[in-house]
Amino acid sequence: MHGIAVKYFLLVISLILGLAFSSVGQTSMNTMNTRAKFKATYIVNFAKYTEWPAAYKQGDFIIGVVGDNDLALNLETAAKTKKINSQAMIVKRFKSPDEVTKCHLIYVSGKSVSEVDPYIKKAKEYNCLTVTEGRGLIDRTSAINFIVVGAAMKYEMNKSLFKQQDLIVSSTLENLATKVIN
Amino acid sequence: MKRLVIIAMVLFTMIPIGLMAQLDPVSLALRAYQNKDLPKAKELIEIAVGDDNFNGITKTWYFRGYIYKDLYKEAKGSGEEFELRSTAIESYSKTIELEPQGELVEDCLNILKYLSSTLYNDAAFALDSNNFETAQSLFDNYSEVIMMINPTMDLNQRTIEFKLYKASKYSYLFDNPRPEDNTEDIGNKVVKLYEGVLVLDPENISANYNLAIHYYNQGVNIIENMDYEQDFETLFEIQAQVMDLFGAALPYMLKAYKLNPLRKETLVGLSGIYFGLNNIEESEKYQAELKKLENQE
Repeated sequence: MHGIAVKYFLLVISLILGLAFSSVGQTSMNTMNTRAKFKATYIVNFAKYTEWPAAYKQGDFIIGVVGDNDLALNLETAAKTKKINSQAMIVKRFKSPDEVTKCHLIYVSGKSVSEVDPYIKKAKEYNCLTVTEGRGLIDRTSAINFIVVGAAMKYEMNKSLFKQQDLIVSSTLENLATKVIN
Repeated sequence: MKRLVIIAMVLFTMIPIGLMAQLDPVSLALRAYQNKDLPKAKELIEIAVGDDNFNGITKTWYFRGYIYKDLYKEAKGSGEEFELRSTAIESYSKTIELEPQGELVEDCLNILKYLSSTLYNDAAFALDSNNFETAQSLFDNYSEVIMMINPTMDLNQRTIEFKLYKASKYSYLFDNPRPEDNTEDIGNKVVKLYEGVLVLDPENISANYNLAIHYYNQGVNIIENMDYEQDFETLFEIQAQVMDLFGAALPYMLKAYKLNPLRKETLVGLSGIYFGLNNIEESEKYQAELKKLENQE
């Protein structure tokens, strides 16, 4: 028999054996911004369940975004196929309060009143639904504020700030809010 | 070298015996084997195996092992090699069974080791082609042969490697399903395989990390496929479902972190999971750890 050849083959095979599963793959992590998509879906719903004055029911539906690029990207994606109450969606990104122009809804990123207030003040010159995410911002700053309940993203609402902007909020939106300030 | 001597001795003893026995089928098979006529050798050795005068003789099985081993090597890629290898393994096993303390045992064990390694490698190749059932069957055969060679051998490491590789292949299919694939079924298989690894080795970083990522990615896939106009009721349901998956991912990623706090992928993973769970503070904590680690490089 071919003893030496077999022995050599055994050696080679044992080396290969150690390598057989050496390329065990590491599963790649999906790096999408998970919160931005949820936030965008909420915002589309906020718009659907709010009524604007007649002058705002024509032309494009403008959504302003401050400080959240991923949210703006998600809204831009939504805008390609979705409409708000039959109005085409347009997303505008504002980098300073001076840039803020007429919009139906504005989302301002920032945790404190001092961060978001300059943008909100400017937006309030229009019939604009203001949306934020920060502790205490619902009290006097924005009409809708994202909060976390358990691990889920929810929202709270300041009804008086809707009225202040001549916006009518639907009962559905109000009923599903975690907290409503009248 | 010792093995070579044994084989030579066997050859010298067999041929004269064979001649004296008016060229018995074992001797004739051996002669055909020496003449490299493997089909003839196979035919003759099968006659010997079917003959009560020869099938109780150790050397009959020993030569049968060699003949089938060589046939197996020649038949590679033809589809017949699996059966030929099985017969070779069976023959060497029978040789050991008939004479457990015999001089041929060492040689048989070496050949069985070689054949088991081919089973192991073929299992890996089968996984590469997504032939999961064949791969499992080959790996089971490999395990059986190894246990026969050395009943006290710890097969855990090899089993873990196999399960991890199989899980990674299923995981790829889960992310890139073919039209005929049932992704839910594949997803369950991925979880079961990683959990199987963790039963054998709870401290296995790959299994902990990959299982966490599997749960996490499932949640992310649901979000990706969500419609922007989803009504509130469905949105809440989806969110709860996703949070459950992120919640399932967290303990495994934390375990991977505990096992190696300096692994970048784990820090990215923890930051992502906490972010998904809307725990920004914890997410930023692991993000900061990652940056610190990167700055140290």
